[in-house]
Amino acid sequence: MTAITIMVEPGKCQGHARCYSFAPEIFDLDDEGYIALEKIIVSGEDEELAREAVEACPENALKIVGE
Amino acid sequence: MSNQTAIPDHIPQDLVRDFSFWTAPDMAPTPGGDPHLALSELHNGPRIFYAPNNTRDGQGTWVLTRLEDMREVLQDSDSFSSYRSIFSSAIGESWPLIPLEIDPPDHTAFRSMLNPLLSPKRMAALDHSVRQRAIDLIETFKDDGHCEVMSQFAFPYAVSIFLEFLGLPQEDMPKFLNWANSLLHPKTPDERTKAAHEVIEFLDDLAAFRRKTPGDDFVTYVVQAKVKGRHLTDLEVRGMNILIFIAGLDTVAAGIGFDLSYLARHPKDQKTLRDDPKVIRKAIEELLRAFSTVQMIRTARKDMEFAGVQIKKGDLMSCASQIGNRDPNEFPDPNRIDFTRNANRHMAFAYGVHRCLGSHLARRELISSLEEWHRLIPEYRVKEGCPPVAHGGFVFGVKSLELVWD
Repeated sequence: MTAITIMVEPGKCQGHARCYSFAPEIFDLDDEGYIALEKIIVSGEDEELAREAVEACPENALKIVGE
Repeated sequence: MSNQTAIPDHIPQDLVRDFSFWTAPDMAPTPGGDPHLALSELHNGPRIFYAPNNTRDGQGTWVLTRLEDMREVLQDSDSFSSYRSIFSSAIGESWPLIPLEIDPPDHTAFRSMLNPLLSPKRMAALDHSVRQRAIDLIETFKDDGHCEVMSQFAFPYAVSIFLEFLGLPQEDMPKFLNWANSLLHPKTPDERTKAAHEVIEFLDDLAAFRRKTPGDDFVTYVVQAKVKGRHLTDLEVRGMNILIFIAGLDTVAAGIGFDLSYLARHPKDQKTLRDDPKVIRKAIEELLRAFSTVQMIRTARKDMEFAGVQIKKGDLMSCASQIGNRDPNEFPDPNRIDFTRNANRHMAFAYGVHRCLGSHLARRELISSLEEWHRLIPEYRVKEGCPPVAHGGFVFGVKSLELVWD
């Protein structure tokens, strides 16, 4: 099964929550609304959704590093 | 507006342009006008230019046209300050709106205190009551077969949600609608000043009341909160309350106005939203992109070269979402509204640490209103002989939008 790894650039998330609106179960937020994760591994059927979410981040805070 | 300021020496003459958000084409209230489309013409010009008289009080600003440059300015709060006092300076005072008009590190502490109140998860819990406001208002005119969107729907909707957020009774609605109108569209400068003083007095009194009689609302939260181990001063409380008032009123109402105006004139897109409400969530992002309403202004903290020009400390940098969101370098075919657009990294809510604090509430209001509108109102169109009146300015908006349906 294929998988992608998404890294969150430290300090870049500003809480737009565009990723969360695509896939709340993948992009977990903390109580203030910022992304709660540093590294996210997504596999299988969620992959395309996760790619869309990465592309939508207004701050360019999410990067796909490994496929 | 009249007191033309001298153009500073470091501004190259060939980058000075006769432009302002009040005087450019379709900026004044214009029947059938399209201020966003009119501004998109700027993308045929230079990457950055200087507008000598481009603020309410006649100051010059650099005007950025590329979204990527605006993102850089807005993300770099070390080089570009957000400190201003727009509201208070209009009445001869000097205190910042919080957290908008303060910089890190102070900003970080205040923002951290306010974030949980307006987080996506918290806003999701408001869905039911926000939706019910939309339904209640639509029911008042649905059977008439027509309505004027701004006065009968968009403004009462936004104001009623604001009142609930502040723990105020709905009976206060006319008072707030009048203040909003006097602040946004004053017939004289005095009318604006008077409204500003009245809003301040009302919200100061409310804060004093909530110190003694706590409730379950924003103002109570603010007066009880601690930042860096201490309670807030009266002026800090005021700076927050006023910001919530002015940031949440006209922006959401304007968004609804622009969106319904577009959809009334584009029956195919309207049908898409009616037939498949699941599209609305994504469509909202595209509509936010295409019909953004605010410009962010930052002040250069030092001399620097930026976007190929020499910037001096103190220069104002206008980062207008209305311009950036129509940048063809970022959005292919930017003047086409496309609900399936991917990679929509729009700047409707700015970038950087000042990302609109109320953005998740605004989204909730926009989504719920468009969902309920298209569930309850049949195919609608602009009333014949009444082209919608839109306008530019510091905050873009819709002055009137007459719709009819069968």
